[in-house]
Amino acid sequence: MSDKKGRGARRSDRPPAADALKEKRDAFLHTFFKRGAELTDEIVHDNRRLREELAKLEAENTELKTQLASDRAIRDLLTKIEHLEREKARLLSTVRESEEITGRITNRFSEVESELESFANLYVASFQLHLTPDVGAVVRHIKELLEQLVGARSLAVYFVDEPRRCLEAVATAGVDAGSVPTIPLHEGQPGGEVQAAVERAFLTGVARVAEGENPPRPAACVPLILGERSLGVIVIYDLLEQKRRFVTVDRELFKLLGAHAAAAIVGAFHFHKSGERIPTPSELRAITS
Amino acid sequence: MSGTYTCLVVEDSPMMRQLLVLALSRLKNLKVTEADDGVDGLRKLAAGKFDIIITDINMPIMYGLKLVKRVRSDPTHKDVPVIIITTEGSSEDRSRALQLGANAYITKPIQAPQVIAKVKELLKIEG
Repeated sequence: MSDKKGRGARRSDRPPAADALKEKRDAFLHTFFKRGAELTDEIVHDNRRLREELAKLEAENTELKTQLASDRAIRDLLTKIEHLEREKARLLSTVRESEEITGRITNRFSEVESELESFANLYVASFQLHLTPDVGAVVRHIKELLEQLVGARSLAVYFVDEPRRCLEAVATAGVDAGSVPTIPLHEGQPGGEVQAAVERAFLTGVARVAEGENPPRPAACVPLILGERSLGVIVIYDLLEQKRRFVTVDRELFKLLGAHAAAAIVGAFHFHKSGERIPTPSELRAITS
Repeated sequence: MSGTYTCLVVEDSPMMRQLLVLALSRLKNLKVTEADDGVDGLRKLAAGKFDIIITDINMPIMYGLKLVKRVRSDPTHKDVPVIIITTEGSSEDRSRALQLGANAYITKPIQAPQVIAKVKELLKIEG
């Protein structure tokens, strides 16, 4: 308290040097604060500028981040597309394989269908051919088989007359019996086209069956074989309008008729001639032993 | 339709009949009855009920077309599908059979798959 009193009491009494010092101090303080204010202004200004720059950088950063995300998304999508392309290729390959398998199964199915039909026709043909020991019925069945199963419009069944060296028609269908000529066996000498074909089939024992659509006359000549001997020929002159060509089953049927028809005819003939006598077991044993 | 079906095959040729029966035997749920000619066919129709009829046209006792006419005038069988089988391939016969009420027409030589397909189609059998 006394010190305070003392300082107040002494102000007017201060020496000039002290005043000068005070002025210097005030000047310094003024300059200091002014400079401080300027610095503060500068700092505020710099701070604002930096904030703006920061905001700008943040905006850029966000933009870059978006772009980066977008690039990543595109990369992801490209990877996904690549994966899907591979999957598509795999599925297409599976589809192709499945189609091939389906195609093979379909083909096999139609082959089996065709074979089944062939077997059915051959079964019926064989059954009917040996159904009766009556010659007339056997020949009728042969004609029927050719008409109904093959689709023959006109045909003749020739049998050999060995003493006269000629082939004579024993049955016809779809053609006047009187118009079917006897065919002399010239052994290669030229005759009409049909006659030559019939003769050739008889002499060679080889069937001639036309290939392709709308076959020329005769459409087929099938030799009738018994053992090693040719006994006759089935000749098909024309096919029905709706029957355009021979198919596999027809050729199989020709083979069957070629191998069995003569036996059926000859067997039925001898059975009839013998008064329908059947052999005794001892007779059969004598022949087979 | 489903279950078991009955079919009447009218054909004078034993061979063709056998072939048809053999072909139709591939349809497991089809019971086949055979008739030798048109008259026999009508007799069998009078004795039972059939889901489908397959008949030849050219028969000595009763012509197939006449049989179709009789079937269409019979109250019990007037709606039964009829398949005509014949050797004739002309459009005249085909249209005559269809006019009389036949549902389908197959020409000889017959093919088993064709017969089966027609029967399945008319009986609405799937598979």
